[in-house]
Amino acid sequence: MNSPALPARTSGRRLPFLFRRTWPALWILPMPVWLLLFFAVPLGLLVAISFWSVVNYRLTPDATLAAWRHVLGLDFLWASFWRSYGLSMASAVVISLLAFPASYAMAFVAAPRQRLILLGLAIAPFFTSYLVRIYSWQVFLTEGGVISSIVQAFGGKGDSLLNTYFALFLGHATLALPVVLILQTIALANVDRTGISAAANLGARPRAILFRVILPAARPGLTLGLLFAFLLSYAEFVSASYLGGGAFQTLPILVTDLVRAGQQWPRAAVVSLLMIASLLVTAFVTVLWAYREKG
Amino acid sequence: MTHNSITTRRRLIKGGLAVAASIATPAILRAQGRRDLSILTWAGHADPDVIGAFEETHNVRIRAKEYVGGDQMLAQMAQSPAGTYDLILSDAEYVVQLQQAGFIEPLAPEDYPFDDFFPEFQNFRGHWFDGQPYAVFLRFGFLGLSHNRTAMSEAEARSYRTMWEPRHQGRIGHFDWHLPNLGTLSLLNGNPSPFDLDEAHWADLTGTMMSLRPQVRGFYDYGGMLSALRSGEVSAIPGIGDWITGVLARDGADVTTTIPEEGGLQWTESLSIGARSGNQDLARSFIQYMLSPEGQVKTATLKAYPAMIPTRAGWAKLNDELPGEARRQNMALNGPNALDEIRAGRIRLRELPVQQSLEIWNDAWTRYKNA
Amino acid sequence: MPPHLKHALPIAFWVAGLALVFILLYAPILSAVLFSFSADRFPSLSMSGFSTQWYAQVLTDRAMLEALWNSLTVAGFTALIATALGFAAAYADYRFRFFGQKAVLALALLPPTVPLVILGLAMLAFFSRIGIAGTLAAVVAAHVVIAAPFAMAVCRLRLAQLDRTLETAAQNLGAPPHSALGRIVLPHTVPAILAAFLITFAVSFDEYVISWFTGGLNQTIPVAVLTTLQGQVDPTIHVIGTLSFTVTLTLVLIALAVVLRQSGGAMSKEETS
Repeated sequence: MNSPALPARTSGRRLPFLFRRTWPALWILPMPVWLLLFFAVPLGLLVAISFWSVVNYRLTPDATLAAWRHVLGLDFLWASFWRSYGLSMASAVVISLLAFPASYAMAFVAAPRQRLILLGLAIAPFFTSYLVRIYSWQVFLTEGGVISSIVQAFGGKGDSLLNTYFALFLGHATLALPVVLILQTIALANVDRTGISAAANLGARPRAILFRVILPAARPGLTLGLLFAFLLSYAEFVSASYLGGGAFQTLPILVTDLVRAGQQWPRAAVVSLLMIASLLVTAFVTVLWAYREKG
Repeated sequence: MTHNSITTRRRLIKGGLAVAASIATPAILRAQGRRDLSILTWAGHADPDVIGAFEETHNVRIRAKEYVGGDQMLAQMAQSPAGTYDLILSDAEYVVQLQQAGFIEPLAPEDYPFDDFFPEFQNFRGHWFDGQPYAVFLRFGFLGLSHNRTAMSEAEARSYRTMWEPRHQGRIGHFDWHLPNLGTLSLLNGNPSPFDLDEAHWADLTGTMMSLRPQVRGFYDYGGMLSALRSGEVSAIPGIGDWITGVLARDGADVTTTIPEEGGLQWTESLSIGARSGNQDLARSFIQYMLSPEGQVKTATLKAYPAMIPTRAGWAKLNDELPGEARRQNMALNGPNALDEIRAGRIRLRELPVQQSLEIWNDAWTRYKNA
Repeated sequence: MPPHLKHALPIAFWVAGLALVFILLYAPILSAVLFSFSADRFPSLSMSGFSTQWYAQVLTDRAMLEALWNSLTVAGFTALIATALGFAAAYADYRFRFFGQKAVLALALLPPTVPLVILGLAMLAFFSRIGIAGTLAAVVAAHVVIAAPFAMAVCRLRLAQLDRTLETAAQNLGAPPHSALGRIVLPHTVPAILAAFLITFAVSFDEYVISWFTGGLNQTIPVAVLTTLQGQVDPTIHVIGTLSFTVTLTLVLIALAVVLRQSGGAMSKEETS
C-alpha cells in the first residue's frame, strides 16, 4: 500500500510550498490545541489541587500528600471502586446486548430510508433533558407506581423497584442507549455487503455469517459502543442518587461526599484521578482491541 | 489562491471574534439603565412572587444563581472572581465558613431591624464576629422526625427510638447530610449539646448510628425525600422538618413532622453581602426588604419550602393576613407557639461539631453510607 | 442485508428487540408528557385532573426563556466547533501519519473519562484565572472539550470504511489535496458529520454540571431543571421535558426530510452494490 506519509507527492510541484506544508497541520492541530488549552490545563490544575491543602475552608496552594494519604487510607475506598467498576461494566454489557437486536434490525431489516427515520427517533430522546427522563422513571418504579400496579394485577407483591440495581441500570440505559444504538447501527450498516453475499454464495449458514463475517467486521463500532456505555455509566451520579436512592455508593458519589468535609476538593481530586486512571486503562485496552488489525 | 484563502481566513477570524465577543459579554452589560443585583441562593428564593416588588421599586433586576448544596455554594464563591455575587443566602453553619474564608463583608448593625427580632435571634450564634454581624437571620425551622402518618403515628414518633422497630426495617430514609442526622441521633443519646461531644460520647454516637443501618432504605436529596415520603416508600426520615413535610402537606399528602421528646434541632438561613460586591447599597436594601413585614411573610410562605421568621412585625402581619398558615406553622401571636419550644429547651441549634473536625463527622457519615 | 439472504434468527426477533429498546427510550418521555398536564404537583397514577397551569408558568417565566436562549446559543456554537474539530481530527488521523498521532487520540479520549463534578470545578478555577469565568463563551469552550471526542469517534467510524488509496490515487492523478477532500472524503462523510453535529448539540444542550460551575449567572435549561428538581419539585420539570422533546423531534424530522430528499442515493448506495 502507498505510504500516506507524503501527502500530495506529485501535486506538490504545482502548489506553493507553504500551502503544502500547512495543509496537514490545518487538520492535525485544531483538536489537540483546543484540548490542550481547555482540557489539559484544567486537568493539570486538578492534579495540582490534589496536592493542595484546605485552610479555613479555603483551597490553598501547597505541596502536601495529605489528601492522597487520606484517600488511599480509606478502608472502603476499594470496595467503592470495585462496586462502581463492576456495576457500570455490567450495565455496559447489558446495554450493548439489549441494543444489538435493535441495531441489527435497523441495519439489516429496515430499508435505508426507514433506518434513517428510526435512527432519528432513537437519538431524539437524547436531546430531552436527561434529568427529566430520570425523574420520570420514578413514577414507574415507585411503590404503587406503573410497574408495581401491573405486577399486583397479576397477583404479584409489587414491591417498589427504586433503590435496586434494576433501577440504577435503567438510569444507565436511559443515558447510554441512544449513543450505543447509533454506534452499533453505523457499524453494522457499514459492513461490506459484498462480503456477506460472497460468504452466502460459498454456502455459509446465516449463523456463521453473523458470527464469522458481520460481527468481526463491525467489531470496532460495537466495542466503541460498549466503551461509551461504560464511560457514561461509570461517571453517572444522578440516577445513582435518584433511582438507586444512594444505596449504591459509587465513586462519583464518594467524590461529592468527600467535598462535604469542609471543602475537601484535594481529596475529591484524588478520587477523580483514580477514576480517570482506571477509565484510561479500560479505554486504552478496549480501543486497542477494537482497532486491532484484523487477522 | 493562498492570498485569497488568507483573507478569507482573516475575515472568518474577525467574524468569529465578533461573535465570540457578543456571547462572551455578560448580559449584565447589555441591559439598559436598570441595575443588576446578583444573589447566590438555595433554589426557590428568587421566585417572582417574592422578589418582584423589590425589583419594581428599585428598578433592579435580580439575577439568581441557585445552588443545591452548601459545599457547592462555597466552591462557587471560592473559584469565582471576588464581587461576582452581591448577596449570599446560606445556612447558618456556612455563614461561619464563609466568614472564616473571607467571602463576606461585615455589616453595620444599625442598618437592620435587630431590635424587632425575638430575643433568642438577636446576637445569633455564628453570625457575629468581634461585635459585628456578618449575616442577617432571615428564616428558620425545626428538625425532628418526619413521618408518613399511614406508616407511623404521631404517638409513635414521640421518640427517635421508634426507627429501630422491626416493622420499620428497610423503611427509614435519610437526608444525605451528616449534620442533621448525627445531631438528632445525638439528642437521642441524651447529649445536652448535641454537637459538643467528647471522645467517649462521639464513639457512642457513631455506635448508635451504625445500629440503625439495617433499617435504612436510602439516602436522598430534597426531591428524593419528597417522593419517597409521599409514596410511603419510607415511613420516616430523621433530621428534617416542615421544610419537607409542609410542602407535601400543602399538596394533600398525609405526612407531618413530630419533634420527639428527646428534642429537635433548628435550621437557620441568613443573608450576607458578598466580599467586594459592587452593589452594596442595593444589597443592603434587599436585606432590609426581606426583613420588612412584607418580605418576611413572603419568605415564610415560600413555595419551595416554608419557614418560620424571626421578626415580631413579620409575625403580626402573617397572623393578620394568613392566620391559617400562622397556626399551621406554630407562629400564633397569642397562645403557645414555636418560641415556647425553644424556651423550654427542646430545640438546639444545628451547628458545626465543636470538639471534632467537620471531616471526622463527614467521614463517619460516609462510612455509614458505605456500610 | 441483501434481500435473498436469510437472517440468523427470525425477523420477528430483531423487530421485537427494536420495539423493546424504543419502549425503554420513550416510556419516560411519554410519562413526562402526561404528567406535564397534571393538576397535581407530584406525579402519581391517581391523577386528580387536567391542567395547563404549568405550561403557563414556564412560558411566562422570564428566567426560563432566557435559559432557553442561553442553551440554544451554547449548544449551537458547541456543535459547530466540536464537529469541525472532531472531523478535522478524524480526517488527520485517517489521512496523515505524524508525530504524536497516538497521543492525540489518547488525549481526545480523555475528556469523557473525567467525572464532570470535578472537571467543572477545575474548569471554573482555570476560567477565573484567565478571566472568562461566568460567561457563555466559557461554557462553550468547556462543552467543546467533552463533545468533540464524540464527533471524532463518529467521523472516524465512517472514514474507516473509506478506501484510503482512493484519495492518494486522486492526488497521484494531479488533484490538489483539498479537491480530493471535497470530492471524495466529504461526500462519503456527510451522514457522519450530520450525526456528529446532532450528537454534540445534544451533549451540550443536556449538560448541567459544567454549565452550573462555569456559567456563573447565565442559566441554561438543564441547570434550571436541576435546581427545580432539587429545590422546588413541580411539573414544570415535565413541561420543560415535553417542550424540549417536541422541539428536538421536529428538528430531527426536518433534518431527516432534508437528508432523505437530498441524498436519496448516499445511504442506499451500499444496498444496491
